[in-house]
Amino acid sequence: MHMTDITDHISRRFNDDLEDLRNSVLKMGGLVESQLSKAISAIVSGDSELGLKVANDDYKVNDMEVTIDEECSRILATRAPAAGDLRLIVAIIKTITDLERIGDEAEKIGFLASKLARMDRPADSYRELKNLGNHVLQMVRDAMNAFARLDVDASMNVVREDEHVDDEYDAITRQGITFMMEDPRSIKRVMNVTWAARALERIGDHAKNICEYTIYMVEGRDVRHTAIADVRKETS
Amino acid sequence: MLTGWQAYLAKTCGLLIAGTLIGWLYGYPLLGLLIAALLTLAWQLRMVIAFESALRTKNFEEFRFGEGIWQQIYSRFRHQKNRSRKYKQRYRKLLREIQDSTNALPDGGIVLNAAFEVFIANKSANALVGIHSKKDRGQRVDNILRDPKFIKYLSGMDFASGVEIRSPIKQDNWLFCRLVPYGAKQHLLLIRDITERFKLTTTRREFIANASHELRSPLTVISGYLDSLAEDPGIGDEWRRPIEQMRSQANRMTTIVAELLELSRLENTLAASSNTPVDVAALVASAKKHYVGIENTANITVHIDTQVNISGNSSEIESVIANLLSNAIRHTPADSSVRLSWKRDEFGAALTVSDSGVGIAEEHLPRLTERFFRVDSGRSRDDGGVGLGLAIVKHALVRHDATLEINSTLNVGSEFICRFPESRFIGEFE
Repeated sequence: MHMTDITDHISRRFNDDLEDLRNSVLKMGGLVESQLSKAISAIVSGDSELGLKVANDDYKVNDMEVTIDEECSRILATRAPAAGDLRLIVAIIKTITDLERIGDEAEKIGFLASKLARMDRPADSYRELKNLGNHVLQMVRDAMNAFARLDVDASMNVVREDEHVDDEYDAITRQGITFMMEDPRSIKRVMNVTWAARALERIGDHAKNICEYTIYMVEGRDVRHTAIADVRKETS
Repeated sequence: MLTGWQAYLAKTCGLLIAGTLIGWLYGYPLLGLLIAALLTLAWQLRMVIAFESALRTKNFEEFRFGEGIWQQIYSRFRHQKNRSRKYKQRYRKLLREIQDSTNALPDGGIVLNAAFEVFIANKSANALVGIHSKKDRGQRVDNILRDPKFIKYLSGMDFASGVEIRSPIKQDNWLFCRLVPYGAKQHLLLIRDITERFKLTTTRREFIANASHELRSPLTVISGYLDSLAEDPGIGDEWRRPIEQMRSQANRMTTIVAELLELSRLENTLAASSNTPVDVAALVASAKKHYVGIENTANITVHIDTQVNISGNSSEIESVIANLLSNAIRHTPADSSVRLSWKRDEFGAALTVSDSGVGIAEEHLPRLTERFFRVDSGRSRDDGGVGLGLAIVKHALVRHDATLEINSTLNVGSEFICRFPESRFIGEFE
C-alpha cells in the first residue's frame, strides 16, 4: 500500500500522462464525429457552405493526430511502458490513424456535398445516404464510447454492425445503376452520390478497426488472436 | 430495588464480603476472600465468552430474559441495533424516493466532481446523451459527451451560460447543456432537449427570410410606378402630396425589407465565412463622408489608430460602422458632436461611437438590440430609422466574436463600444 514518495510520484505522473493521452484521443474522436455529422447534414440539406467548411476544417483533425502521435512516441521513449500500458499506447497509435482517415473521408463528403448542392436534388433528398450516414455515425460514436469504457461487448457489436453498412452500400450502388440506366443525364449526380456512399462505407470499416484495437487493448495479446478470429468468423 | 450497575456492584461486593465472613468463621478470612473473588472472575469469564459467541452466532437465547447485568447489556445493545436499523430503513427509503424523483425528471442531470468525472447520473441523462450512472462512474464526462463545442465550453471554465449541441443519440435533435458549480468544487450538469425550440427558431428564421424575399418584387413594382407617376406632368396638383407620401413610405418599406434580408443573411450563414484583413480606418473615413456637407447634422470627430486592424468580413464591419454612426447622428442635436474612435485596449481592439444626444433610459438598454424595438414608441418615425440597425450590428459583431457594450445616461449622451477580441487583431495594415 505505502510506496516511497518518489515511486508514488513518478507512477502518478505516468498515470496522468496516460489519462491525458486517452482523453485527447477521445477529444479527437469527438472532433471527427462532429465533422462527419456536419458533412452528412451538408449533403442531406444541400448546404454547400457547410460542406466546404467541413473540408476546410480537416486540418484540425490532422493537427491532433500529429500531436497525439508525438506524445505517444515521447511516452514510449521516456517511460518504456509494459503490458497493459504498452497495449494502450499501441492501440492509441493505431486508433488515431483510423480516426484521421475518417476525417479525410468526411472532408471528401464535404466536397461532394458542395458539388451536389449545385445540382438538381432528387425527390427523396438523399434519404438512403442520410440513413447510411446516420448508421455509420452511430458506429463511430459507439466505437469511441467502447474505447472510453473499455467495453469489449460493445466493440463486438460495432464489428458485427459493419456487415449491415456493407449491405446498405450495395443497395445504394444498385439503385444508382438503375437511375443511370433510366436517365443518362443523372450520371454525374449519381456518380457523386456513389462516391459519398463509398466514403461512408469506408468510415464504417475504420470504425470496425478502432473496435478491434479496443478489444486488443482490453483482452491482451493471447485473447486478441482468438477474439479477432471469432470476430472474423462472425463477419465473413 | 437497585437497578443496573448499582445492583451488580452491590451483588459483587456482597459475594466478596460473604466469602470473607465464611473464611473468618474458619480462621482464614483472606482465603475466603480469594475463593469468592476467583468464583466471581470465573463466572464473569464464562459470561464474556458466552456473550462473544452469542454475538458471533447471533443466538442471544441466554441473554434474552432476566435482570442480570449481562441481560441488561444485551437489551441496550438490541435497542440500539433496532434503532439504527430503523434509521437505515428511513434513509434508504428517502434515498430511493430522491432517486425515483430525479429519474422521473425530463431533464438530464449528472453530478460531476472537480475533475469533471461522472459521479451519479439520472435516467434522462442516459436517454439524452447515453451517460450511464453505473457504467460511467469515474469517467470524464467529455470522454462520452465528445462534441467539440461542449469540450470547449468545459475547458473555458465560464459557466454563466450554457451551450447548444447536437444530440449524440439522435442526429436531428438538439440539446442545451449547462454546468452549475456547487459545494466544494462539485458540478451539476443539466441537459435539456431543445429540439422543439430549435425547430421553432429555424421556422421563424426561414419565414422571415422567405417573407422579406417575397415582399421585395411587389415593392419594386409599386415604387417604380410611383416614381413615374411623381414625374408625370399630367397628374393634378391635388395628387402631388399623396403620391409623394406613398413614395416615401414605399422607400421606407424597401429599406425595411432590405435590412430584414441582411439580418436573415447574417443569421443563416456560417459565422465569419471570410476572414480577410479589414481596413477599419478607411471604412470609418468613408462612413463619415456620407454626412459631410449635410446641414443640421452634428459635428463628427474621428480618432483612428491606423496601426490597429482586424481580420473579418469587410462589408459586415462597414455596416456596423454605418449603423452606429447613423444612430448617433439621428439622436444628436446639430449643435453638439459625435465622436468616433478606433484603438487598441487591454481587451483587444475597440470601436467606440459616442454622442452627446438624448441618451437612453437604463430600463431600455437590455432590449435595444431587439428587432423593431423603439425606446420612444410615440416618437416620430420619420427620422429614417427602421428599428433594425442595432439588431444588424449585434449579429454582425457576434459573427466576429465581438461584443457590443452600451453605456448611456439620459440627456447626457450614449456610448456604443464594439470590443473585438485579441484573436482578431492583425496589427498594421499594409
